[in-house]
Amino acid sequence: MSEKKIAYHPGCPSATTAMEQDMSTRAVFEKLGIELEELEDWNCCGALEAEDPKLVIALNARNLALAERKGQDIVTPCSICYYNLARADQALREDEKLRAELKEIDSSLEYNGTVKAKHVLDVLVNDIGLAELSGKLVKKVNLKVAPYYGCYLGRPPETAFDDPDDPVLMDQLIELIGAENVPFSYMKTKCCGGPLMMTRADIAFEMARKILESAKKAGADCIVLACPLCGMMLDAKQPDIEAAFKVKIEMPVIYITQLLGLALGIEPKKLGLNKNIIDTKKILEKVM
Amino acid sequence: MPIKTWELDPNFKYEIMNEPGGEHLTACYQCSTCTLGCPVTEIIPSYNPRKIIQMSLLGMRKEVLSNADLWICALCQTCTARCPQDVMICELMGAIRRIAEEEEAAGNIKIESARPLFEKAFLHTLQKYGRLYDMGLALEYYPNREGSKIKGMKAMMKDYKDFGMRMFKKGKMGPLGGGGVFKGMLPEKIKEREVLKKIFEQLGEKEK
Repeated sequence: MSEKKIAYHPGCPSATTAMEQDMSTRAVFEKLGIELEELEDWNCCGALEAEDPKLVIALNARNLALAERKGQDIVTPCSICYYNLARADQALREDEKLRAELKEIDSSLEYNGTVKAKHVLDVLVNDIGLAELSGKLVKKVNLKVAPYYGCYLGRPPETAFDDPDDPVLMDQLIELIGAENVPFSYMKTKCCGGPLMMTRADIAFEMARKILESAKKAGADCIVLACPLCGMMLDAKQPDIEAAFKVKIEMPVIYITQLLGLALGIEPKKLGLNKNIIDTKKILEKVM
Repeated sequence: MPIKTWELDPNFKYEIMNEPGGEHLTACYQCSTCTLGCPVTEIIPSYNPRKIIQMSLLGMRKEVLSNADLWICALCQTCTARCPQDVMICELMGAIRRIAEEEEAAGNIKIESARPLFEKAFLHTLQKYGRLYDMGLALEYYPNREGSKIKGMKAMMKDYKDFGMRMFKKGKMGPLGGGGVFKGMLPEKIKEREVLKKIFEQLGEKEK
């Protein structure tokens, strides 16, 4: 990878519920010698609650334009921010009229399609690459891992950077650091239920429970994922799910950047491994 | 119940196709791939996106727009990814939901779901601060959903008492994790809120 500076869009949960994802993303890139420059004054991508595509494009045009003015590609650790940034980028590249319309609303929305929006996982595996990463590994992480991708890395096809049904990018990173992927392909891309959490918690809990119990059945020591909404459902809500179904799951859930960070020899605390809701001590015991 | 052909609205499909995301409705040939792979259908077997599409094509306007199932789509994009006809079902459902919201605003139907209230509360915080503000969102959403402030606070406490304590203990909210005593409890505001105001004035969803 040639560029040593990338614009960083942390996404809203980075300050609170997903702060360990933010901490570990920053720590991993620092270790790899790539500077993440937080986009100054970035705004929320609209998540999945802004349903009007044009509104989503306008909101993300502002973020894309901020990065473009710095001449940097924009990277985010959140799958939903990624989807919104990437689809806004595509729509604006293809539609001159829309670009003009947004510029008319405010000059800060002028975006000319000269930068790319990327997800952290995409940058790690496809831009930096496994070969370069493997040269920087200092520890072996002897874990059985259930790689969980969720929705927006492999879907929809327009913005996907991995396979929709059997994605592999996290599997590759997990193997690279000496950990083992448990058989999980039937669950990898099933929705965590996150978007229904606030309006139909009953459905959302059932969706999340299936994923958690499948990981347990497959013999995983932990679930590894790459989206703060999935993290919220599977980790932060796990005690609520256990209570609702009267089951014990106790499945640690960590972000892929936390796992990779361990193999890169970064201090667990710097990776926020004390911030995950389900205790991660058992994971740390298996870092050699 | 048999369909009353004289009550069908032949223009409904065009109404949907004029809404962003609804453009590909008529490409559907009813193969049901969407429904077979749907993770919500797995849990609620009566949830059937194929059927919603067929009803839309037939012009069953009122039945579609007042169907509570519109609001339990998880937006997971599985149907969109697998559809052999590129109907973009996830976006299509969003287009139908927006028409339903307009119909409700016009007093023609009643939406049996709290989701529009949630989306509105979300967009209000975004419009006001430029970033998501969980607590502000909850303080608007729960009272609206429950129909009163007191009932709303009760429901919110029930959902968030344990969760909030977890966040507090881990320092994700409150003073224990650095970032100030009120971390996560006060909104994070961006500087250029004026731009967001303009965006929402020009493009904000109707009624939001």
